[in-house]
Amino acid sequence: MNNISPDLWQPITYEDRDKERIARPSMTFWQDVWRRIKQNKSAMLGFVVIMVILLLAIVGPWLSQYSYWEQDLSNTSQSPSFEHWFGTDGHGRDLYVRVLHGARISLAVGLIATLVNFVVGVLYGGISGYFGGNIDSVMMRVVDIISTIPLVLYAILLMVVLGPGLLSIIIALCSVYWVRMARIVRGQILSLREQEFIFAAKSLGASPFRILVRHLIPNTMGTIIVTITLMIPEAIFTEAFLSFIGLGISAPKASWGSMTSDAIGGLRSYPYQLFFPGAALCITMMSFNIFGDGLRDALDPRLRK
Amino acid sequence: MKKKITLFLVFVLIMTSFAACGGAKEKTPSTLKWDIGPEPYSLDPQLNFANDGGNIINNTFEGLMRELNGELAPGMAESYEITHEGTVYIFHLKDALWSDGKPVTANDFEYAWKRACDPNLDPEPARYSYQLFYIKGAQEAVEGSVSPNDVSVTALDEKTLKVELVAPTPYFLELTTFYTYMPVRADMVEKDPGGWARSPETAISNGPFVLTEYKTGESLILSKNEKYWDADKVYLDRIEGFMLEEENTMLSAYEAGEVDVIADVPIQEIPRLKENNSDFYILPSIGTNYYIFNTQKEPLDDPLVRKALSYTINRTAIVENITQGEEREATGFVPIGLLDKEGNDFRETAGDYGIYKDAGNAEKAKELLAEAGYPNGEGFPTLELIFNSYGSHQAVAEAIQQMWKKELGIDIRISNQEWGALQDNIYNGNFDIASGGWTADYADPTTMLDVWLSYSGNNVAKWDSKKYDTLIEESKTMTGQERFDRLYEAEALMMDAMIVAPILYYTDTVMVKDYVKDWEMTRLGLWYFGYARIEE
Repeated sequence: MNNISPDLWQPITYEDRDKERIARPSMTFWQDVWRRIKQNKSAMLGFVVIMVILLLAIVGPWLSQYSYWEQDLSNTSQSPSFEHWFGTDGHGRDLYVRVLHGARISLAVGLIATLVNFVVGVLYGGISGYFGGNIDSVMMRVVDIISTIPLVLYAILLMVVLGPGLLSIIIALCSVYWVRMARIVRGQILSLREQEFIFAAKSLGASPFRILVRHLIPNTMGTIIVTITLMIPEAIFTEAFLSFIGLGISAPKASWGSMTSDAIGGLRSYPYQLFFPGAALCITMMSFNIFGDGLRDALDPRLRK
Repeated sequence: MKKKITLFLVFVLIMTSFAACGGAKEKTPSTLKWDIGPEPYSLDPQLNFANDGGNIINNTFEGLMRELNGELAPGMAESYEITHEGTVYIFHLKDALWSDGKPVTANDFEYAWKRACDPNLDPEPARYSYQLFYIKGAQEAVEGSVSPNDVSVTALDEKTLKVELVAPTPYFLELTTFYTYMPVRADMVEKDPGGWARSPETAISNGPFVLTEYKTGESLILSKNEKYWDADKVYLDRIEGFMLEEENTMLSAYEAGEVDVIADVPIQEIPRLKENNSDFYILPSIGTNYYIFNTQKEPLDDPLVRKALSYTINRTAIVENITQGEEREATGFVPIGLLDKEGNDFRETAGDYGIYKDAGNAEKAKELLAEAGYPNGEGFPTLELIFNSYGSHQAVAEAIQQMWKKELGIDIRISNQEWGALQDNIYNGNFDIASGGWTADYADPTTMLDVWLSYSGNNVAKWDSKKYDTLIEESKTMTGQERFDRLYEAEALMMDAMIVAPILYYTDTVMVKDYVKDWEMTRLGLWYFGYARIEE
């Protein structure tokens, strides 16, 4: 005690004291993310466009007097006009309604496929990463096997068994796409499970399921969300691709892929028939990609300036 | 640095100009680049049964007679005699050679025709065998009651062929232009019965061209047959055939100058091409596009259902707004352009069997469907309509799907299949409704009506009518208007059963570059380039 000299016991100045004060209200992680992404103009634009497309897909078809399947053979291949905003296709169907109907299909495929991937991929990857050892080896080899078979092959097989349609596409996408999510989550969890808070949870007697769902997965949420936003456009694109080569949904339902495929034949005479569904596909894909990019920047602490 | 770039550019310039000189000096063989469409099922004259193979065979082989400028002209036959009231034909052959230099003999014809009648033919029996049923013993041989050797076609000597017919057949000479009647070489066929016609070593032929290269699924090359009897007038040295299947790819290749001849264009482009292109042709064709009902399957086994489906199709809307190639609405199975003995068009005389060109008979269709037990389409199962992606099939199917939905309240699933798979499914009866087409093989209604004989390999509707068989068989023993009365009655029988729903009568929409001259398409829709020229 002799070592402590009395002059250390001086009251601090007001200046020094204020240094310790928390000047601004504390923010949660997600508030911080929101603040950051708001500053990213292109990501916000992407977000707004996604919302607009979603809204149009839901209410848009009701705003038109036409339906996506009704043909008017005396009114085929009309150029865009006030009556038909995007013109009509080779069967006299209104392209505007069909493009919006295509948006429904595409977004539905994207969202459903991604939701399934989220649930399956996260749990699978989580279990594999948390338990490690032999369980991990076996589960990851299964993933390796699944990812070696090309998606188109699955799709064709499913079309043969189930018949072409939306369901087959979604099943095809769901059966394959989750493997990447599983790998990403496993990687994250492998490093997280060695950390002290998990050790603490274990010491307190938490069950593995509780640790996984309450502690590990919430901590990987950032990565998961980024993966999801980038997965949606991929699923949309795959659906469009499958429909384009004729493996997708069957007429009279329309998706952007099948519409572009129909329009290819008349490319030289009626380019607008290709333009509208093509543009819709491009804009949607780009919006999701830009938004996903911005989200990753906002979520990743290492990328913060 | 700048200097170096200049030097390099000069170097490049010199090199390219050399290259240009080199190209100009070489004498380029006169080559026609032809899009032959999907890969032919077979190039064997007896085994082939489709136009895609027929197109090639028509340029590589030659029958006793041939068609030139729409007229019947002698081919391998120098002359012929018809005796015994038109039931015996004696052909005297030219001194023609096969592409390997051996003479074409009457034995080659005898071998080929008997081969077509062999029910145990390796690798499969000829689907077109019934084209020879006019010959005495042919039908019995195909049915197995006599040996193919008993078919009454005999080579009297090297150059004389004698044929005995069951009954006088006014169009027998025309039949001999058809590929099933073309000669083949026994020694070549026996080397590889299934594959000889695709292999350049064994594909010895007697027509203006000979197969010299075959790449499966990709291309084939026909070269001028120097041994052809009229080789002096064959101008083309080579025909490169490309198996481009998709019309849009074809049109792009055509517009880029990669091919000189395409046999189809995307239907959406027809209005523009009609207006702007002098190299776009709409050629008349004798053939029908129809939907085949599987008459063995519920609910299509009920003629009322089949009639209801057929009556609802608005054919005028389809030809005017979908296919747009100046096709005609089909109101019967036999297409426009075939005449009866009195010179009347068979189609116009036979009537329309209640099929209206537009959807005017839809009310009747609803009644029929209700009568069959499906008022307003209630309880009607979802049937599948299959077709291949070629041409307007998809667009027509979508339009008809909608018509059935709107008028009858029934749902149809439409499914686009690859050509090979489609044929397998159709021939194995594995379908509900399928798109089909039949083009005339000779200018007589029998060419169409023979299809629905109960024993015909092409009766894919699986319709079995003894009365129909009798009518057709009787017609083959008759001549004159009496014969046509049987044919009218036969068509009425099959159309009243509505085993198919006729949709339209084909036309061919083709593009041929202006510098290709003297090309021909036979009345039956087969290409012939024997005397075609390319103008530099």
